[in-house]
Amino acid sequence: MATIIETRGVTKVYRTDGVGTPALRGVDLSVRQGEFLSVMGPSGCGKSTLLYLLGLLDRPTEGSVVLAGTDTKGLGDGERTRLRRAHIGFVFQRFNLLPTISAEANVAMALKLRGLPVGSVPRDTLAAVGLDAKRYRRPNSLSVGEQQRVAIARALVTRPTVLLADEPTGNLDSEASDRVLELVARFHRELGQTIVLITHNEQVAARAGRLVRMRDGRIVAG
Amino acid sequence: MLPLANILSRKVRSTISVLAVGVGVALFLVLVGLTSMLHEIADRATNVDADIMVMPAAGPAILLGGGLPADKTEARLRAISGIREAIPVLCWTLNMAGRDQNVFAVRPEDWRFFATKPDAIIEGRPLAGGYEMIIDTRLQRVGGYTLGQKIERLNHTFTIVGIAREGVAGRVFVPLNTLNECLQQDARRATFFYVKADGPEAVKSVCDAISAMKLSAFTLDEYYARLSNLLGDMHLVIGGVVTVAGFVCFLVILLTVYTMVIERTREIGILKGIGASRSQIFGLVLAEAGLIAAAGIVVGFLLTWISRAVILDLQPLWTIEIPPVRFAYAAALAAMGTFLGALHPALRAARQDPVESLRYE
Repeated sequence: MATIIETRGVTKVYRTDGVGTPALRGVDLSVRQGEFLSVMGPSGCGKSTLLYLLGLLDRPTEGSVVLAGTDTKGLGDGERTRLRRAHIGFVFQRFNLLPTISAEANVAMALKLRGLPVGSVPRDTLAAVGLDAKRYRRPNSLSVGEQQRVAIARALVTRPTVLLADEPTGNLDSEASDRVLELVARFHRELGQTIVLITHNEQVAARAGRLVRMRDGRIVAG
Repeated sequence: MLPLANILSRKVRSTISVLAVGVGVALFLVLVGLTSMLHEIADRATNVDADIMVMPAAGPAILLGGGLPADKTEARLRAISGIREAIPVLCWTLNMAGRDQNVFAVRPEDWRFFATKPDAIIEGRPLAGGYEMIIDTRLQRVGGYTLGQKIERLNHTFTIVGIAREGVAGRVFVPLNTLNECLQQDARRATFFYVKADGPEAVKSVCDAISAMKLSAFTLDEYYARLSNLLGDMHLVIGGVVTVAGFVCFLVILLTVYTMVIERTREIGILKGIGASRSQIFGLVLAEAGLIAAAGIVVGFLLTWISRAVILDLQPLWTIEIPPVRFAYAAALAAMGTFLGALHPALRAARQDPVESLRYE
């Protein structure tokens, strides 16, 4: 299968008051289309930084990220936004739903920001994650598991090439966690969705087809 | 939808912001409306079938009191070639309808110069002499006066013999001799004269001749211009107040939108994460500020209407006329102030680093 996203010698150094703290050190990673990849490692090993770079939310200090055949090094903000919109869906550990609007409006927002027609798509997508009946509820009136399912619906409603999930079960109990993981696995199985999932949980990581281990900003296995 | 939802989720802050814009709009409109009172006074004072006003050389700042010997001055004026009529007016104040009203004391036979329209008297008759009084319709309405009503003033009983249509030079007219008697003047006095020239071509030479007599003479147009100069000064004051009010509104909006952007740092990161571009973030912030401005403008119009009603209830003889175009100006000013106030925070939001925003607690 073709490579959909790739990092080439990516280094990321965060600078605070002139002091550089390396988060990633020369990471090379390829993700093939339709692959379900899990990235594991202890806290502070650079997992989330890698995810933000893959999702074009951040820029590497050195190296480059190639998304859908486009080397993003040197691209302007506008071009990066266009690529991100076309190919990336994000699911965050803290759900990151907009608190002032309903679940359905949160899902619709992803379509509106891309100028895509809305229609019944948000409702259908919420139905696919089992939340049709709660589509008018605001995020704070939903359980944490339900909020994460809304976040998954929002990430997938635009049919992204790659779904990037940053510890999607990190704030959930085991039952909600299982349900969310089953949902992610179903989208991978039924739709061939490419998934990169960050976790520090072995059981969660075991659901993926490939496991990559990280330590101290480097890929150490996988 | 998101901007509206955000505004509704912060009710107190949004209400304060809307009120700040509204108060600025209302302040501008009411102050502008109040200047119409000076226009109304100027319109009335020059609504006389005459060409020139004559005053003592010093030129009284306030048209009040008998600065001129009426008969002697009239005789001197009539001796000037080109003068057809010389109309003495003694101005005084009488308390009516709860406040001092400017009274024009004129000779009954001179009423025709003040009745510039055929139906100037809508009820009753012109002055004939004695303790008679004509009031205008506005004073009648505010004071609840009726034709034939007896009114005790200056230790005498005056009878309202006529009701004049609003717009005549004075709100109250009494006979010149009567007021002079009431004021116990030793000879008839006048505050100023209206002079009617033989024709438009004679006006300048008449003015020059009167000035040579050490009297102050100017055409009614010049008098209107004098009052307009007063308006000009007033406009400067109003401009200053409006500028301060506008600046306060601008600061409130700036603070509101700035706080909103800080408060929504994480949300801005989320929006960028789910595909929002810089221009979309910029637009969302401006849309929220725009909604506040729109609501503020509506509230401002409402406050203007309420303020006008309250002022006219307390001071019924005041004039507050606000041309529709001023509402458009006020709305444009509020919109511009809001845009400028929201510009910096909106740009800041658009430039926010999405990763830092997502890590923001």
